[in-house]
Amino acid sequence: MNSTDPSAPAGGHADEDAAPPSPAASLQLIDEQKRAAHRRLDIDPALMLVPWGVAWLVGYGLFFLRFGPDERVYVSMPEWLPLTVLLGLLCLAGAISGVAGVRAQHGVAGESAERGTMYGLSWMVGFSTFVVLASRFDDLLPDRDAGLLWASLPVLVTAILYMSGGAVWRDRYQFGLGVWLSVANVAGLLAGPGWHSLVICLAGGGGFLIAAAAYRLRAGQPAGS
Amino acid sequence: MTGPQTPVGELDPVIHAQARLRVVATLSALHDGDRLAFPRLQSLLEMTAGNLSTHLRRLEEAGYVEITKTHQGRVPVTFVALTRRGGVAFEDYTAALRALLEPGGP
Repeated sequence: MNSTDPSAPAGGHADEDAAPPSPAASLQLIDEQKRAAHRRLDIDPALMLVPWGVAWLVGYGLFFLRFGPDERVYVSMPEWLPLTVLLGLLCLAGAISGVAGVRAQHGVAGESAERGTMYGLSWMVGFSTFVVLASRFDDLLPDRDAGLLWASLPVLVTAILYMSGGAVWRDRYQFGLGVWLSVANVAGLLAGPGWHSLVICLAGGGGFLIAAAAYRLRAGQPAGS
Repeated sequence: MTGPQTPVGELDPVIHAQARLRVVATLSALHDGDRLAFPRLQSLLEMTAGNLSTHLRRLEEAGYVEITKTHQGRVPVTFVALTRRGGVAFEDYTAALRALLEPGGP
């Protein structure tokens, strides 16, 4: 049961008052225990980013292929398919992030819980608001521009929330991702409908996946760095 | 604060015990301002409830952990966190260990 102390009888507790065999063993025990705790208590950024990256890569990719620049159709498919796939993948990503977050934070109370709750609510309020906003102006715009409005607003909300999240948790990777998404969004908007989808697919979706890889690399470095 | 050489005998006896060291190291992974529910801590450490209680009581006596009992609805819940003093004691302990391992040490 206690695999780090071979001298402890299984289930016995008298020997658990025993000191670790050496200073080196103590330090190793500390390192192992801290890593194990962080692994289970911290939310894995890769799990939070990869499902969303895939959703954007595939979803916006399909938009580009079906509703290309200058009304081109690169790959023929039903009109409703890109949006349906995007929404489906976003829901899946949401479920995965949600479950990962709950499991990591289970039994943890205090400031983290408050921050997390407020942050989670920001997403909900932000996305609800953009839906109302886009719906309000939808009918006034030509089809292609309405599409651009619907495509760029969620990117805007996501970018702002990542920049804010980076500020709240002093996480430069998250902040950087938010800035990058903003730049991509603006570039896509200037390029126009059709091109915007491609930009978000590659720079947005790709950005998430690169950020996930960056977190993984950072996690591989020695504890405390 | 710790001299160039700290004899092994001077390592904080409260922390310098296999099981309590694991408890303190685990609690140190919490973010400032957070506390851990007893069942979650127990699951992270893979200790029996009785064992963990005993060690926590010892750490609490030394002022290293804070134990708060509250309710979530009607269910009583016990939360645990390192105190500031406990955090400092753990840092000192770790520093003392590293000093012991320095070349030219005792």
